[in-house]
Amino acid sequence: MKRYFRELSVLFAFLAILLLLAFRAPEFFQPSQLLSMLCDAVPVLIAACGMTLVIVCRQIDISIGSQFALCSVFAGLTASSGLPMPVVAFVAILCGAAMGAFNGVLVAGLGIPSIVVTLATMVTWREALRWWREGEFVSNLPENFQWFGLSQQVGQITIIGIAILLFLFLAFALKHLSAGRFVYAVGSDKEAARLAGIHPQKVTFAVFVLMGALTGLAALLTAVRFPDVDPKAGQGLELKAIAAAVVGGVAISGGRGYLWGVAAGVLLLSSIAPALVFLHLQPQWEKALQGLIILLAVAADGWRAVRKKD
Amino acid sequence: MTNHSPTDWKAFFLRFETLLIAVLLAEIIIFSRTAENFVTTGNGLEIIRLSVELGLLALVMTPIILTGGIDLSVGSLLGLCAISFGKLWRDAGLPPVLAAILTLLIGAAAGGLNALLITRLKLPPLIVTLGSFSLFRGLAEAITRGVDNFTGFPPSFLFLGQGYFFGVIPAQLPILVVAAIGFWLLVHRTTFGRSFRAIGFSPEGTRYAGIPVDHRVGLVYVLSGVMAALAALIYVARVGQAKADAGTGYELLAITAVVLGGTSIFGGIGTVHGTLLGLAVLAVLKNGLTLSDMPSELAGILTGVLLLSVLAGEALAQSISRRRKQSPPTPTISTSPKPQT
Repeated sequence: MKRYFRELSVLFAFLAILLLLAFRAPEFFQPSQLLSMLCDAVPVLIAACGMTLVIVCRQIDISIGSQFALCSVFAGLTASSGLPMPVVAFVAILCGAAMGAFNGVLVAGLGIPSIVVTLATMVTWREALRWWREGEFVSNLPENFQWFGLSQQVGQITIIGIAILLFLFLAFALKHLSAGRFVYAVGSDKEAARLAGIHPQKVTFAVFVLMGALTGLAALLTAVRFPDVDPKAGQGLELKAIAAAVVGGVAISGGRGYLWGVAAGVLLLSSIAPALVFLHLQPQWEKALQGLIILLAVAADGWRAVRKKD
Repeated sequence: MTNHSPTDWKAFFLRFETLLIAVLLAEIIIFSRTAENFVTTGNGLEIIRLSVELGLLALVMTPIILTGGIDLSVGSLLGLCAISFGKLWRDAGLPPVLAAILTLLIGAAAGGLNALLITRLKLPPLIVTLGSFSLFRGLAEAITRGVDNFTGFPPSFLFLGQGYFFGVIPAQLPILVVAAIGFWLLVHRTTFGRSFRAIGFSPEGTRYAGIPVDHRVGLVYVLSGVMAALAALIYVARVGQAKADAGTGYELLAITAVVLGGTSIFGGIGTVHGTLLGLAVLAVLKNGLTLSDMPSELAGILTGVLLLSVLAGEALAQSISRRRKQSPPTPTISTSPKPQT
């Protein structure tokens, strides 16, 4: 219990918001409202899972927002050229994985700090996309693209279902598969991991590729919700994902973090905007509150660590 | 991590700065052919005029990164300070001078918040300033409710951003020159500034050497807040209005200029003149592309490519020189660099 104090407190904060809403604005708890809130949280959850792996590995990736936009546009173009849905999904994920691999080569292969590499790729991909598409939306999407050709409600449930299955698999893999433990090992102590027979470079590379692939999937699951694809999508996704991971108890210095804590972080952060609307407060406070939650979460971490030392 | 002797680094930096100057010259030669009005005194001063705000942020980002830290909140703080200035002047009815002084104090207080969290609670600067990045921009949006903006400032204030001395020298140019000289002297010619690098190499070692590490680190973040506020004042005066989205993305541009200028993101290594060169490369690139009627997106793409190729070149050169030495791999015990932030 004490071990999970950090994660549980985030979960309780989320439950507190739900409780407040239950008393003050019970109309929040309509199925359609909840489904749309969860659907909004899906891309952040998927990206935050990838980001957790990256941060646990003691790296960071701030290029995923731009990757997200490129993947959505590629998915949209593939779909509008008439190719079947599985091919569209494959293209989106492959496109993300390729951009992740590019980051991975530079970080793991050449040893350039990940924050600089992904800063550069963030700018490059975003501006390349703007140059190429000139802000044009991808329209003329086939019937079977939006909501996978299902009704809206079934489509929403499908999207949330995919995200939950993926989350459960990743949480299991990170805890019980050797590949998952390698990530913790490399993030805790690279040299010790190397002496234990792990290839830190390969693990780091793989983590970036996975981050890209997950971003591609997140882009696909967002693109199918709308009648056309926005080339400006995904702006600020990297910060939302990092914020969710950090609020969820992932240590930025690597080696520590649980995915279910991150899920609680995602739920907490994505419940702020609807909560402000339903409590009839100014929605413009969302960003300030998000920042405040991040600072409070890390300040609590720091406070506990400093007190323990004394 | 490999150990380089001081002379190694010196030689390396000589080469690094030569490389930057070569890039800058190449830009100037190319743009003088593609753009008609590129090589004029007026355009040269215009380039500087437009990059003063970014320059101030990049200048203060240099000592921050030297200490091994980072400040992602400067762009958001620029927005918050711009809004605060507008609010103090229009709604509180203060004279511009008093509003400007209060804005600088707000900047210092905001920087102080970062400093407090980083030094007292031992939190990684990346995460603290990521949180305040959200908080400051969010406050700016909340104060203006996302729509309000401030215009109609008195001409005496607008002179700061739009005026010219003797009809040619932009009014904000002296501020940048003074800041550049000040930061250069601080980082390179004072024991105070020299300690930033020591902290970047080893915070613990520096503390044992009797230097008040927390105090020094905290001070750079406060200074960063003040510079962001100053940049906000110049920005508002130049553009003539204050909106909540002022300075969006400036933190990344400032970091790009610093890293392009040869400062190691891990801290300990870097120079102020390198940062100024990096800034010049970025500013000339943007201006030249605009004057050559090239798409503005190209500036971003080329910046990213330039940053990556400079760093990849550096990494490759290092691994080649390491191989050439052919020293047997020595077992290293806990010499892993400090936690990456």
